[in-house]
Amino acid sequence: MTPATKRGFSPRALIGENRPTLWIAPLLTVVTLFYLYPAFEVLRYSITNASLLEPNYEYTLDTFTQVLSDPVLYKVLRTTAIFVVASIVLQLLLGLVIALAVNRATRRRLPGMVFMRSLVLSAWVMPGVVIGVVWAIVLNDADYGLANLLLGAVGLGSVPWLSTPSTALMSVVIANVWRGTAFSMILLYAGLQSVPEELYEAAEVDGARTLQSFWYITLPQLRPILMINIILITISTLNTFDMILPLTGGGPGQATEVLALRTYNVIFQNYSLAGGSVLAVVMLGIAMALTLIYQRLLRSGGSL
Amino acid sequence: MKPWVVRAAGLAVVVVVAYGCGGGGGLLTLDRIGKEDAPNTMTLQLNNSYTHQSSTPSWADGFERLFTQFAEDHPDWKLELKIVPDEQATQAQARLLEQARAGRAPDCANVDSFVIAQFIDQDALQPLDQYFDQEEIDGFFPFVKDVVVGDDGKLYAYWWATDLRLLYRRTDLVPEAPRTWDELIQAAKEAEQKDPKVDGYLFNGGRWEGTVFDNLAHFWSQGGELVDEQGKPIFNEGQNREYMLNTMEFLKEAVDSGASPKRVATISDYSEFESAAQAQTVAMFQGGDFQYPTLEETLPPEEFKKYEVSPIPAMREGQEATGTGGWTMGAFSDDPEKVEMCAEFTKDVFVGEGNEVTGQLPTNPELFDTLDKFQDPIYDTFREGLKAGEARPGVPVYPEISNQLQIAIGTVLTGEATPEEALDNAAEASMAAYEQQSN
Repeated sequence: MTPATKRGFSPRALIGENRPTLWIAPLLTVVTLFYLYPAFEVLRYSITNASLLEPNYEYTLDTFTQVLSDPVLYKVLRTTAIFVVASIVLQLLLGLVIALAVNRATRRRLPGMVFMRSLVLSAWVMPGVVIGVVWAIVLNDADYGLANLLLGAVGLGSVPWLSTPSTALMSVVIANVWRGTAFSMILLYAGLQSVPEELYEAAEVDGARTLQSFWYITLPQLRPILMINIILITISTLNTFDMILPLTGGGPGQATEVLALRTYNVIFQNYSLAGGSVLAVVMLGIAMALTLIYQRLLRSGGSL
Repeated sequence: MKPWVVRAAGLAVVVVVAYGCGGGGGLLTLDRIGKEDAPNTMTLQLNNSYTHQSSTPSWADGFERLFTQFAEDHPDWKLELKIVPDEQATQAQARLLEQARAGRAPDCANVDSFVIAQFIDQDALQPLDQYFDQEEIDGFFPFVKDVVVGDDGKLYAYWWATDLRLLYRRTDLVPEAPRTWDELIQAAKEAEQKDPKVDGYLFNGGRWEGTVFDNLAHFWSQGGELVDEQGKPIFNEGQNREYMLNTMEFLKEAVDSGASPKRVATISDYSEFESAAQAQTVAMFQGGDFQYPTLEETLPPEEFKKYEVSPIPAMREGQEATGTGGWTMGAFSDDPEKVEMCAEFTKDVFVGEGNEVTGQLPTNPELFDTLDKFQDPIYDTFREGLKAGEARPGVPVYPEISNQLQIAIGTVLTGEATPEEALDNAAEASMAAYEQQSN
């Protein structure tokens, strides 16, 4: 029998040596139980009128209609869009700047780089609730708020960080960027480490300046990492509500109520399991659509 | 020292620590009250604050003493503890309701006073009348009786601790207690003139429950009602609409006139008032009775002496109301013996004794006379204030009404919406939630 000969199906073939089934089974079980099943339940609840107050429910599309026709949803989507786009841009830019600095310092063997990386990462490992509480103290509008205290010390006036709708959204973005930049930096730093040194040496021989090296070597080499970074930042920012809850609670009014926070409110204030599930499905749809767009950009080799 | 000695000593420390942390067979462990081998078991869900693991050392010590005493007095029982972290206490109520509906609730539990009506509606709670004297039940403050006594006249939970909201003021800046909104705004502005460092009047205006709960006093004092008998939101109907608009216009006026700073729209924690008091940057604030001991502890004595409390000013003189909250104990078990044990536990640990440990106000005016903790004259003011107490309506739509009114107050304070627009939006969203829940 030649290796190319086809064999008939045999159950043993599924679990035999060098077959992936056994290796994949634990992963498949975990993914099914903890990811696919809950996601399926959310989809199922979204086409019901389920409530936390009533054990019985019916299948209906009315909840979808109600949630999608609520004008508040579009205000929340707008807030979410500003929050996500500002977070992506700032986290990428700051992450890239810090990663370049750390990479340069590491190549020059400057001391303290491990400490520096650990310090930056400490922001990322903090729970969102803690970050929200810390920033609420820092950005307290009172004169004794930490940020206003510092501004006062240098002769500048107090800023209403959280009490006007526009500054409140800006403050929430600042807190989120502070948390997410570390993650961005680590990914980009790993990407920078993998850029072959020879490319820079060749560019140097050709007389390229630093900016030209960055533009024609570093950025193109980092493109896959940048794309992955954008996808991950988008998903994590879309899901953020734990940090906003203690920082502004979504206020003043609804100025900082993002989609994830609204989902939480609809379930726990309104007891509407179905309404919350519809919003979760909307979030899932947005995240998937953006991911597909990013992937297409990545594959097509389109410019950033 | 030889290595085996070090290892043995280490092992001994681990054993001692593990024993102390709940692995032992004593009367009180991390998750049990009573002996491990006691023949009868009751499951008990408590907020962390009301246990021997409270983060307040004096509360932890007090409940440790009470739990141990209870275990000694009831040797045939062990109570299996489920402790709810304080920050999850509100969400835990939604879960408890779900568990009760599915018949999986603990036998006995701390229940938030403002959700009791929902539990009674769901037939989740067992009557406790036979375990308490009728005189004791009749002695409750009226707002307490309204909540814990069902339509059938039976007692469905024992509300043992309550609180109220009042106006705190620095008498050096505001010598006379303002009685009306106009007087409050005037006094705040005068205080700011006397000391430009201070904010005249601070109140909760951020996106959280306290904003609605505290400011509902202004609505209630005019005679306003949030919901009707069926639990339907009516705060935007007839006279109620006028009362609610008056309330929002007063809050807006407080900010627009400069009596209150714009940042009240961000205040979502009572500790903000304490911080301002410590920084000596506030003349008046609307706070809770529970802040009085904290201020006494944290302010220098000469600064604390400047503070006095008085009823919350109303639209017109003579109108008075204040929001009241607090915790109850309820029995969920079908087993009469466990219901009786739940009542026993409530009596022995919480009623009176629990008030002494925590300083949280009793729900029966007579206890103010008998308990040592409440002999300070300030508690006379609190007791009087409770007579005008109002509890939030325990209807399923209340959390959404609160959520919508928080948004409404926020948008009015920041100038994003007029009081009329904000109120109409809040009413529309609350009605939508009510109709959804009713279907």
